[in-house]
Amino acid sequence: MRKYFLIMKRECLYIWRDRTLRNIIIFGPILGILLFAYVYRMQVIQDIPTAIVDLDHSSQSCELREDLEAAQNLKVTDYPADYSDMETMIENGDIVVGIVIPEGYGKNITLKRQTRILAVIDGSNITFATPASSAIMEVTQTISAETGIKILVGMGMTLDEAQNAYQSIEFRQEAWYNPTLNYAYFLILALALNIWQQCCTLTAAVNVIGEIGMSSWLQIKASGISKLALFGSKSIVHLTIFMLLVLPVYFLAFVVFKLPLHCNFGLLLLFTFVFSIAIHSIGTMMSSLTNNAVDSSRLGMMVALPSFVLCGYTWPLEAMPAVIQKAAWILPQTWFFQGYNFMVFKGAEFNMLSYYFVAMLIIALVCYGISIIAVSWLER
Amino acid sequence: MRSITKIAYYEVLHILKDPILFVVVFLAPIAYVTLFGAVYFSGLLSNIPMAIVDLDHSELSREIENAYANSPYFNIVEDVDTYEELQTAMQMGEIRSGVVIPEDLQKNTSLHRHTEVLTVYDGSNLIWGYNIQKKNIEVIKQFNSENTVAYLAGKGLSSVEISSIVNAVDFNITVWYNPNINYTYFLFMGLVMMILHQLGLLSVSLTVSREKERHSWSQYLSSVLSVQQIIMGKCLPYFIINFFNYTLLLWISAQFIHVKIEGGVLLIIILGLLYDIIITFTGFFISLKAYNSLQITRCLLLLSIPLFFLSGYTWPWAYMYEPISSLGKIMPYSWMAKGFRMVTLKNLGIAEVGVIILVMVLMALAAIIINVTFNKTQKPVQETPLSVNAGNSYPRKRHV
Amino acid sequence: MEQNEEMEEIRVISVNNLVQVISRQVVLDNVNLEVAKNECLGIYGNRGSGKTSLLHIMAGIDRFKSGRVEVLGCNVRKDQSFKKHTGLLTQKRSLFRDLRTAENFELIAALKNASRQDIERVVDDFELKPYLKEPIIMLEGGIYQRVSLACAMLNSPQLLILDEVIKDIDLYSRHLIVNRLKTFNSQGGTLVCGFSNIEFCEYMDRVGWLENRQLSILTAEEARDKYNQLDRSMADRLGNTYA
Repeated sequence: MRKYFLIMKRECLYIWRDRTLRNIIIFGPILGILLFAYVYRMQVIQDIPTAIVDLDHSSQSCELREDLEAAQNLKVTDYPADYSDMETMIENGDIVVGIVIPEGYGKNITLKRQTRILAVIDGSNITFATPASSAIMEVTQTISAETGIKILVGMGMTLDEAQNAYQSIEFRQEAWYNPTLNYAYFLILALALNIWQQCCTLTAAVNVIGEIGMSSWLQIKASGISKLALFGSKSIVHLTIFMLLVLPVYFLAFVVFKLPLHCNFGLLLLFTFVFSIAIHSIGTMMSSLTNNAVDSSRLGMMVALPSFVLCGYTWPLEAMPAVIQKAAWILPQTWFFQGYNFMVFKGAEFNMLSYYFVAMLIIALVCYGISIIAVSWLER
Repeated sequence: MRSITKIAYYEVLHILKDPILFVVVFLAPIAYVTLFGAVYFSGLLSNIPMAIVDLDHSELSREIENAYANSPYFNIVEDVDTYEELQTAMQMGEIRSGVVIPEDLQKNTSLHRHTEVLTVYDGSNLIWGYNIQKKNIEVIKQFNSENTVAYLAGKGLSSVEISSIVNAVDFNITVWYNPNINYTYFLFMGLVMMILHQLGLLSVSLTVSREKERHSWSQYLSSVLSVQQIIMGKCLPYFIINFFNYTLLLWISAQFIHVKIEGGVLLIIILGLLYDIIITFTGFFISLKAYNSLQITRCLLLLSIPLFFLSGYTWPWAYMYEPISSLGKIMPYSWMAKGFRMVTLKNLGIAEVGVIILVMVLMALAAIIINVTFNKTQKPVQETPLSVNAGNSYPRKRHV
Repeated sequence: MEQNEEMEEIRVISVNNLVQVISRQVVLDNVNLEVAKNECLGIYGNRGSGKTSLLHIMAGIDRFKSGRVEVLGCNVRKDQSFKKHTGLLTQKRSLFRDLRTAENFELIAALKNASRQDIERVVDDFELKPYLKEPIIMLEGGIYQRVSLACAMLNSPQLLILDEVIKDIDLYSRHLIVNRLKTFNSQGGTLVCGFSNIEFCEYMDRVGWLENRQLSILTAEEARDKYNQLDRSMADRLGNTYA
């Protein structure tokens, strides 16, 4: 028993004295969450910079401008004199939406002639383009309706009848789980956890090679301690450290930044623990297959890095080609981040996610198995 | 010159001999581009799984159903008949959007009583959230205007009159640069630039630290060559390979992933060359100063995600906290991603991109100048007994 | 005046008040040394005595804390041109590991601006023809040292700085190396050799004895006597019979 305790103690010392690794794993995840929290400080897309080019300057165009200014999510920041000014502003990225009210707009309205208003949206950044086009569509719908009602009343219809033409059915839109479509809720913690999982991979990547690659391995071999006991004790230390590292991240996320959590925190911790086993197994596998710690870290990171794109947390799995969709489930990150989404936003319970736990444990078993085979083959 | 080419030649030989370096330099860029290309290939969200809970079963409710069924973006999932079932299906992720049509919708509507149809969508993933919101509005808009037309026709108005009323104010909404709001156009090239950045740095930055760990760096230090010759010789192969990868990845992106790459070829080349200079020389500098290869590998790769999100490529600088966005502004990646988007997607010319090129020229100069601090002597190699895991490397096979 | 210039020419290395600190530990404290042209100076010290540090400083590859080091008339901190005329053989294997012998010669020749004829000359000198195609990591210790020395001599140096050149190697290689170094010395070359085996004293004109971060200059005989004396007193202290 004392033997295992000593191995664990030595492992803690090893990690502590590995200055780079120590600094990375202690500060990486925390700096990560602070950084992302400040990046997504504005949290939601609102105040989309908008410019209105009013070529008409009539009372009607003034009214229209007021309607646009009142539109949700749009913020009119500029009134360029003509179309080409607005074009330049969009090119330079100063504004995202440009609206052009044509000459003779007021006259046409009074004459009941059709007029055409141009709304331009900069599509180069979708983070803005999608909410911008939603906002534009909503405000234009209202404006069309108002104008139509006015015309109908002018034609002699009663106000009631005219309104019925436009407001037969009201549609109410609701976004569930994240009603304000808050980017901070969506991304901060997920990105920080992603940094955390990379730190875990790096730590695990010196697990095997950090022993059998050093001359002190001869001491261990001579001492007769079983490899399973040795690496088992080391792994327990690693997993404990992983969990200790994730706690302050969760603390910052849920207590300081008050991100929503719709599930039982204990369940989330348990889920995180199972994931850290899976991550550790991958790092361990890499460390048993390569010739030195540099290669093992490189390989580990080459898996850990694209995993965030592949796991479907942002760009949905359903939109990926079928082959990739299937392949993505090989990565424990996919199971974790999908499950994380279910838990944090949708309040999923254990019975709904039980096979997520099982899947990550199976991945861990396979990777540990490969490591055991690799080590015994090398030491044959 | 002969010495430079000799050093370069042997560096290439090394790249070919070190299997992992070979992978990082030649295969990983292609592999990552193929992978990410496949991930973002569709670029658009279509077939959004949705459910319609029809509690009214009237003509009107069927019309609403038809409006969604006719939309190319929605895919109606059957067998969801109650609000509770809708909730469960949404929670399980089986559907991402839903419409609840209340009882007596038709009756209340004809009696002009207030009634509303509920449309819900999944906000737990904002890519779903924002896209479904937009598609929903489109369907509703379409449905409403059809309804208005029908209503006015019922009032006995002629179709010319109706059209002049409905289209009294005709909004022509155009999305520039990326008319379909395609995610491939938007995100993919940013990822490609990140791949080039990280893999480029990763390969160059081991060039000196490797020699130090194998003690052969002293051969360079005791040589008669000038600092510039050594830097040039060491960087030349990486510079060429990085530029080759740049063009190759652009070609793959345009040819197979159908990313929109427009704009002046000359500008694209200039941006690529500047980016390449910055990456190569920064990598060399890192290699010169770093403690060991392991440190470089660990720190470099960890920076990928922060760099991407700091760059203002997706979430704009204007929305960030000031010091954080300034941090983003000193990163070459941010400028390259921005400049490349302006040239290839927005099709802008030198007048608009000039500032970005200027910034990158300054960065490239800085990257070259900092390397001059290297003066052919090294800090004496430390062999502190306590730097356990941070030792040079763990050679499993002797001598390798 | 004339005499002074002559002195300058005779003095190949001069080290004044050299202090070296590595990881906050003083390794060399106030070391002074002069090496004359055509001399063979040995630097004797145990493991970790600062031998390698001193040699690396003289070769101009390590930075140092303070003091003044001149090699072939160049202040090593300011002027690197002396490297044209020096050769270095390090204690740790420092040839390019992933290359073959011939490729090592070629690359190092490029680094030293040496020609193809130079390569042929050193290959003949050290009888390395049969090993040219071998990967460098496959070479035995003796052959490896011959290759290293050959590389150090590619640029026909005036000064050779050698760290443990003939330690633990086969006898033939050892004698070959000693022979070539004697020729080098007799043709006017200067040698500074680090060693830790007292037997090698016989090859040296003078010995710099490194102990407790200090360097003292002795003749070869004095060095051997000092060693024997130390050896005897240690044996006595522990009660071992001295053979």
